[in-house]
Amino acid sequence: MTAPVTLSLAVNGAVHEVTVPPRKLLSDVLREDLGLTGTHVGCEHGVCGACTILIDGQPARACLTFAVQMEGHDLTTIEAVSEGDRLSPLQQALHQVHGLQCGFCTPGIIMTVTAYLRDHPDPDEVEIRDLLSGNLCRCTGYQNIVKAVIRAAAEIRARAPA
Amino acid sequence: MSVAAKFSQIGKPLPRREDRRFLLGKGRYLDDIVPPGVAQVCFLRAPHAHARIVGIDSTAACALPGVIGVFTGRDLAEWTTPLRLAPPIEGLHPVEMTTLPIDKVRFHGDPVAVVVARDRYVAEDAVDLIEVAYEPLPCVADTASALAPGAARVDESLPDNLVSHQSFSAGDLAARRAEAARVIETTFDLQRHTHVPLETRGCMADWDEGREHLTMQIGTQVPHPLRGQLAGRLGLSESQVTVISPDVGGAFGQKIALYREELAVAALSRHLGQPLHWREDRAENLMAASHARETRCVTRAAVRGDGRILGLELELVEDFGAYCFYPANYMARVIAMILTGPYRIADYSFDVKVVLTNKCGNGPMRAPMAITSWVMDGTLDAVARELGLDAVEVRRINALGPGDLPYTMATGEVLADITSRETLEGAVSAIDISAFRARQARARDEGRLVGLGLCTVVESTTYGSQFYKAAGIPGSGHEAAWVRIEPSGAVNASVGLMGTGQGYETPLAQAVAEGLGVSAETVTVHMGHTDIAPYGMGSRGARGATAGGGTLYLCARKAQEKVLAIAAGMLSLNDARGLRLRDGHVERRLDDDWQPTGLGLKDIAQRAYLDPTALPDKVAPGLDVSLTYDPPPMTYSNATHACEVEIDKFTGRIDIRRYLVAEDCGTVINPLVVEGQQHGAVAMGLSGALFEQVIYDETGQNLSATLADYLVATATELPKVEIIPMHTPNRSTPAGIKGMAEGGIMGAIGVIANAVNDALAPLGVTATRMPLSPQYIRALVREADENQERTGEA
Ligand code: FES
Ligand code: FES
Repeated sequence: MTAPVTLSLAVNGAVHEVTVPPRKLLSDVLREDLGLTGTHVGCEHGVCGACTILIDGQPARACLTFAVQMEGHDLTTIEAVSEGDRLSPLQQALHQVHGLQCGFCTPGIIMTVTAYLRDHPDPDEVEIRDLLSGNLCRCTGYQNIVKAVIRAAAEIRARAPA
Repeated sequence: MSVAAKFSQIGKPLPRREDRRFLLGKGRYLDDIVPPGVAQVCFLRAPHAHARIVGIDSTAACALPGVIGVFTGRDLAEWTTPLRLAPPIEGLHPVEMTTLPIDKVRFHGDPVAVVVARDRYVAEDAVDLIEVAYEPLPCVADTASALAPGAARVDESLPDNLVSHQSFSAGDLAARRAEAARVIETTFDLQRHTHVPLETRGCMADWDEGREHLTMQIGTQVPHPLRGQLAGRLGLSESQVTVISPDVGGAFGQKIALYREELAVAALSRHLGQPLHWREDRAENLMAASHARETRCVTRAAVRGDGRILGLELELVEDFGAYCFYPANYMARVIAMILTGPYRIADYSFDVKVVLTNKCGNGPMRAPMAITSWVMDGTLDAVARELGLDAVEVRRINALGPGDLPYTMATGEVLADITSRETLEGAVSAIDISAFRARQARARDEGRLVGLGLCTVVESTTYGSQFYKAAGIPGSGHEAAWVRIEPSGAVNASVGLMGTGQGYETPLAQAVAEGLGVSAETVTVHMGHTDIAPYGMGSRGARGATAGGGTLYLCARKAQEKVLAIAAGMLSLNDARGLRLRDGHVERRLDDDWQPTGLGLKDIAQRAYLDPTALPDKVAPGLDVSLTYDPPPMTYSNATHACEVEIDKFTGRIDIRRYLVAEDCGTVINPLVVEGQQHGAVAMGLSGALFEQVIYDETGQNLSATLADYLVATATELPKVEIIPMHTPNRSTPAGIKGMAEGGIMGAIGVIANAVNDALAPLGVTATRMPLSPQYIRALVREADENQERTGEA
């Protein structure tokens, strides 16, 4: 039952073959087997949101998912958000307005918000606070994260071809 | 304004250096740097609050494939010494604890045995296979039962559970009571909190058998003190231990002590001769890392009819939990020392009891004195309520004004360079109290509950060595730094602090840059490595800016002096008078103007390192300067918080309509970082006041071991915080720095309670405990309804 199984995982545009026990969490496989340590683990029970990644483009908790469930799905992690060395508009805005402190919650927040802005280019503050309510941040009080999301959304809209 | 004007690097809102790596997912938190294949550690934890350990059978666990070993308190006792805390403080009992419990467990979650295994999954399986025979003992789950005669003793080496008791009196309280129009008693119950850093505790210990050297990678606020603890308890010299702190995902006071788990991991690495990694899970973090607060205060204010407080008595009882990782008087003492804060109260007494119970041990949590401002300003509000006076007027009549400073508090602490009266007026005018009162009157007519709170905070920020000595708390408040200008002119610096998210790398570089005369971009500050950083006291309280920034600033100034002495030689001048370094260039004063000399820092560095025979007399080669600095006994920041709330009486929900802070935290090194600290502190204060609670049932079972039970505020529950900067420099610290980052919590806890009680006033009920949960608010509203029915019937 716990004998390792071999599976292939499509992560950030590359396919990786891993051999892991069926009970191994996706968060652990990403971090330990694939070396993608940008996905953080804050609770392992689905509350804090630090482990948020995109599964087929939708935000999901990597700590509530087994890696063996992920064959045939397309995974995106924080490591694939920047454009090469260039920070994404959201990353840039978080930097400029001091939307992060210890940075432990930050990758999860970036994944949640990045997916949302794709479909909701002009969110208001209430909507943003609602969106962020699935991600805990113990450091910032969220105020500057909200500010960064507003700024990033404006930047993305400005960049979009008219 | 005038504060910032004379600086060129201090005061700039530079975005933080560490951001880039965090944003890219390239931070290096502990788990990110553990090499593959390192064995994992997992602890078995007690299911009982209080029980004798009769026997531990680890046969089945040891037999599990992948298990390297199972160890108990008895094993650890062979390789480590116990922690003994016996500071010579009157009324404080000495205590001692072993590395892991041997004879009995003292709280639900106490570590009982430890497994080392190939991976975490196997280690957890093995933990489940360990059989422990317990003999449950009666438990004490609150201070009242712990203090009852004949109560079970948490620590059987003590006569009872009262581990610390101190009292103090200044002036003549009996006389003040006799003179008073009224004596008003008020109760404040602050519940048990825990820190919840988003990254839990963890460490990786690596014993190098060949060199006989331990490398401990651990997220810590205090690398050097931790090294001393580790070395001492493992019987090693400090030269045999290196502590390295990688990036840390928050700490808030939870990462100061050397915990038993960490010491066990280090000892086992040495015993097994292999590196070991431990990461606690969230349940362990919530149950067994460290708790905080759970303090009950009762004040008795002897007042005149106009609200002037003639005398104030404080009774404080803290529920300290089962183990002392700090002297038990440590947090409570500070509350009692600084309680009167912004007010002129000469006749003051306190009685402070710290009690052991069968709960996780307490430690300092961001603003260990969090309750202080609630107790003080809540007392003033009670006075106003009872006497039918205006709450602002009651504050004014008791407030210390500029003319009273420096002011020696009844406890002997000296307040200087504070502006609490000014921030009170700043907040009062920004919130427009008269407009609010008009709105409130209309709302009350409609049966709505609307309230306004005020809370003035005098925040003790930087504790100098003299404070510790005077307060009877063991410790030192000094800090150490070095600044090195490398041959290329690059600037490296180091200090004994360790950041855990604050963003030290940028503001501390600004402090060095200001002192030296270069731009902040050219300075790199190295922290968190005991072989690199000088021995300092680390990060605790709000000492980062004054002790850390101040020491670096002074050290950099000393470095500038040497640079200029060398420059003088190169310019064939007799001495360095009339020279300065600006932006890395040596300038010379000619008449009223600073003129370039053509010399840059690199030229000076080249001479210092590569051509020392050409240096002026008595100037030694190299540019490597170090310095230690002990701040004044105490520095204070101050602020006034104001907040407007509406309570939904049917659901008990508190809606924060407006929140502002008028703050004076001295010279601000980096306004962006300071603003982040203000937001974060207010958020943590409100989260604690409204939601958080460690819950134990009467048998000592912890019922709040997930983040679905221990509730931390999310983005939807917190307000936007308006900040009114009213900074004035401290005249006795380097660059006028005061420090900050904890006062926001003190203010938030006080102001929200005061606002809620203002809203509840028409109902004739008062909230006296936290959290101000919907359930509690509903209970108060029901109580009011019942009171009304009763009066209606009568
Ligand atoms: S680690 Fe997955 S939600 Fe917290
Ligand atoms: S920045 Fe520390 S938890 Fe969000």
